[in-house]
Amino acid sequence: MNANLLAQSALSGLFSGGLYALLGLGLSLSWRFLRIINLSHFAMIFLAAYLTYQCTAIWKINPYLVPLFLIPLFFVVAALQQLAIIRFGIDEFGSIVATFGVTIVVEALLQLIWSADFLRLETDHLKGSMVLGSLLVPWADAFMFMCAVTTCVGAWGLLRFTYIGKALRANVENPAIASIFGVQSRRLSLLVAGSAGGLAAFGGVFIALLFALTPSQMYSWFGVIFATVIMGGLGSPLGVLVAGLLVGVSESFAMALVAPSWAPIVPFTLMVSLLTLRPGRI
Amino acid sequence: MLRLEGVEIAYGDAPALFDVSVHVDRGELVAIVGPNGAGKTTLVNAIARLLPFRKGSMHFQGTDVTKISPQAMGAHGIAVIPEGRRLFTQMTVEENLDMGCYRRNSRAFRDQSLAEVYALFPILRERRHQISGTMSGGQQQMVAIARALMSRPEVLLIDEPSLGLAPIMVSQVFEIIQKIHRGGMSILLIEQNVNKSLDVAERAYVLDCGRLIAEGAPSELRSRPEIAGAYLGHASP
Repeated sequence: MNANLLAQSALSGLFSGGLYALLGLGLSLSWRFLRIINLSHFAMIFLAAYLTYQCTAIWKINPYLVPLFLIPLFFVVAALQQLAIIRFGIDEFGSIVATFGVTIVVEALLQLIWSADFLRLETDHLKGSMVLGSLLVPWADAFMFMCAVTTCVGAWGLLRFTYIGKALRANVENPAIASIFGVQSRRLSLLVAGSAGGLAAFGGVFIALLFALTPSQMYSWFGVIFATVIMGGLGSPLGVLVAGLLVGVSESFAMALVAPSWAPIVPFTLMVSLLTLRPGRI
Repeated sequence: MLRLEGVEIAYGDAPALFDVSVHVDRGELVAIVGPNGAGKTTLVNAIARLLPFRKGSMHFQGTDVTKISPQAMGAHGIAVIPEGRRLFTQMTVEENLDMGCYRRNSRAFRDQSLAEVYALFPILRERRHQISGTMSGGQQQMVAIARALMSRPEVLLIDEPSLGLAPIMVSQVFEIIQKIHRGGMSILLIEQNVNKSLDVAERAYVLDCGRLIAEGAPSELRSRPEIAGAYLGHASP
């Protein structure tokens, strides 16, 4: 095992870790602040990925413009879903079932429109790699990583320093007292759900950019993303980022040092050990 | 300033307050005292509009506020210091204070309010970055009072400030309440500690089993044998 290969696999682990964090952030926020385990987050990510494909590959829209309208669109859709969840009084466990239903519907829809065949987005943007010493750094991954880190740090800053962030944290701890001080929990919940939807759209753009698409692929993300979210501590953007990077790098090392088939075992071993050692974190 | 008339509250079918009429005038410190289970906290929650009235009405500065939401009640200028303090325990002291001035109209005065409450509670300035849940009971009570003051209220509603505090802290908290009152604040103090409350209040109500059984100046209530015997821990003469 040479050092160069190890460094290269650490780098690719960091990149996948960044993507895990970006995809997990919305899930983590809605779980913590809405008490909703939103499985349809994955469906939203894939819907956004397919829409990105459609806009970029078929309609030839500049891919940098795609998030500008996908994110607001998904914000609205997710907020509407949250309105329905409030309207029907769906609780934390009910939300798993309800949003799984949405996931299946969306998956069927994707198959209907784009078929189950693999689609690969070919674009001239972010093509190729830069060479950094002995390392090969793909532009697309590097750009995605930058966006993921910025998003997580930005979300942390919003929660930590703004009135809305403080209101969210106060509301989740004691809604009655928070309401006395003027916190309007319904409005906030729509904001959180919408932001999670926007994050799904943002993540979806990168899924389209980095992977070949097929609808059933969405389920393969469940395990690793949930492991990331749970390890990161619910509602903690920096936690999600660190957990994502930890999972990504350790997976990558397992692949390089042992065998690629060992990769899935890593996040779950990490998650189970963490839950055993520090069960109070959730 | 704050006036409740003929208020009746029930939890489902179980009535908790019967025909309660209470008022607080501007700049007054009024105490509502009574034993455990008398309905004191129910009354606080009703005034904070967390519980609906079954009968009766509430007016604040001449406006009918019988049917408004807790958010709107706070916006009218009533700040609640709830029983058991109910801080946002995972947030820092200063973040709790920021929640006190969450509303736009009080947010504009944040720096000024913060300077005022830190002058009142210098310890909170020292500890402003501490997670509030890790503080002692007395300090948490200070945070709760400070948080309410941050909203720049017209009336302070203080529910059981002495609950779970060491005797020396209880005296301190009552001193602080008096100090705030001398600054011109109208205060409704709900307490189980009857003697301490009557020491600071200008007027008091005695609540028992969901009914008001007496009202008057503290000295007058103390001189009434049935009150003194039952609620003040003195033997009847």
